[in-house]
Amino acid sequence: MRDAATVAERLAGHLAATVTAMVAAAPAPVAPVYVSWGAAAEVATCPPRYRAAGEAGWRFPGWAPATAGAAAGRAALDHHLQATTPPAGPPPLPAPLEAVRSWMRSGTAVGAPGVAGWVAELRVRGDGTTMAATAATAARWLAGFVRLWGWPLPSRLALLNVPREGGAGGAPRWWPARRSPVSVASGADARLGRPGRTGDLSLVVHRPSSGGDRDVHRRAAYEAAAGALALRVAPEAVVVSGGDTGERVRVVVDDDLLAAGAEMIAAVVRARVTALTAGFDPGDARPSVLCRWCEEAGRCPAGAAWLAGPGRWHAGLPVLAAEG
Amino acid sequence: MARRPVPTLPHLLAELGATTVEGGGADHADEALAASVRLLEAAAREAATVGGWTADDPLRLAKGRVGWLARCPRRALAPTDGDLTDDLVAGLVVDAAAKLATLVPHRRPTVEAAVRYLEATGDTAVARHLADRADGGALQADVAGRVALLAGLWPELDAGWWPRVEEPVRMALAGGAVVVSGRLDLLLGGPPTPRPAVVVEVKGGRWHDSARADAHLYALLLARRDRRAPAAVVTVVADGTTQVEPVRPAVLATAADRVVHALEVAATIAAGEPAPAHPGPHCAHCSLRRGCPEAALAPTAGS
Repeated sequence: MRDAATVAERLAGHLAATVTAMVAAAPAPVAPVYVSWGAAAEVATCPPRYRAAGEAGWRFPGWAPATAGAAAGRAALDHHLQATTPPAGPPPLPAPLEAVRSWMRSGTAVGAPGVAGWVAELRVRGDGTTMAATAATAARWLAGFVRLWGWPLPSRLALLNVPREGGAGGAPRWWPARRSPVSVASGADARLGRPGRTGDLSLVVHRPSSGGDRDVHRRAAYEAAAGALALRVAPEAVVVSGGDTGERVRVVVDDDLLAAGAEMIAAVVRARVTALTAGFDPGDARPSVLCRWCEEAGRCPAGAAWLAGPGRWHAGLPVLAAEG
Repeated sequence: MARRPVPTLPHLLAELGATTVEGGGADHADEALAASVRLLEAAAREAATVGGWTADDPLRLAKGRVGWLARCPRRALAPTDGDLTDDLVAGLVVDAAAKLATLVPHRRPTVEAAVRYLEATGDTAVARHLADRADGGALQADVAGRVALLAGLWPELDAGWWPRVEEPVRMALAGGAVVVSGRLDLLLGGPPTPRPAVVVEVKGGRWHDSARADAHLYALLLARRDRRAPAAVVTVVADGTTQVEPVRPAVLATAADRVVHALEVAATIAAGEPAPAHPGPHCAHCSLRRGCPEAALAPTAGS
């Protein structure tokens, strides 16, 4: 049986050495690099596109209904569990929209960390429309999570990344070294089991819209590595539930998956260091459907070739040009 | 004995709210669902072989594409221009108003609130369109009338219905080489609630028959996702029409047949055959009408 803590320790040692060497070799001081699933997915999709985004594109875009759905949904579910769990027996099934509204009313406060502080500011400003749009995305997340994980939730399941008063409970993070500009955040929504040497731990990611199989496996690879680093224990599996498909995909964590995830993390740091010298350099472009909206498409030979060739097809069918 | 028709969404919910899935749900559709999925899977595998789609580069079908592949395959290949028309704007505003009526039930939706809702979700084009229109007042008044009509049709939803707006549904076939997906305007009930599921679609313009086929497709996708067919699909139209359709096995079978037809047509196009054009009233709004061999045969307005 593998020792899950030793696996995580080995991964951390290897990645810390890689990342620290990259930062040390940079031609200028590296600004803080927050490695998240979002950044890792962007780099994996097309490194030059990510590099071209610059500081404005690299940082968190800010809270909005579209970015707050999962965070607010998790917080509302956590609030429901805290507020309604009786001394004995399971808590009542949450009605998603009501649970979100209840959290917005009594689980948020100006100055609170993360999404709770943002929602409280909306309330103070009287921006009911943005609150409604946020309630929609949060309720969708919560409803899908409960539908796919059952109610009562599995007894071994604990929500992750739920900021609480006092700052505890935010996204589990890892730093490769003291004072390193790089930090890596786990984006898992929950865990099944407890971190321990036996590795009886799975990470849970819920996505209202799940994307394709390749996307699911990429996500699993990233979360396996980020989770192992932040929790100091390698999970035995990452389970990705898709609200739109109604399916739970269990991806077993092995050395290959951890290596793939670690490479995704390293690629983000590499992209940021490369951006200091090369900036946008289309040499390693990976053309895809995103070329249609890429601001750099005009100066990217690979992207231009794709748009003139396969890109003339849309979602499996050719697109006819309108005349006149 | 046949059940009496249920003419409106509030009536339907009042009737279904008292039932549970065990007692009065749509489990009778399980066999039809299994048969439909088998049919779709076989058709998708065959079509993917002809069309050359893979999980990395799949054929993606949503309700619009499925519809056009049936009505006019050439139209299904038209570029999606970003131009907004008044009709489209009206539809988006009415749709947003229905969502607001669901999310903020104590406040009657208005055009202004619906436009703000769209902006909050990142859609600023509607606000720009309304502001840029020289006779924006007339358009605004027209849309306000539709929003008011819809608000009058909208039911009060108790929390037990689990109202969810913009609910995504997705079905992968042939190992992911074909993906059929959609976004339900409003979903009520369904697992894990004890109530049967009801799909609600909102139309901002007038009732037209293709809306019915769209609703059938959503019933099929939701049935596949939840392993249980919804009890009904309801289309609420801002002209005052409400279409309530119970989801019987035949509905799922019809929806599956329509997707199979779309797959067959799409496969021949992807394999290099020219897309046939079927003239109709839609030609007037088609971006491919110039150069289309059939558009001249289309009936003109009033003919």
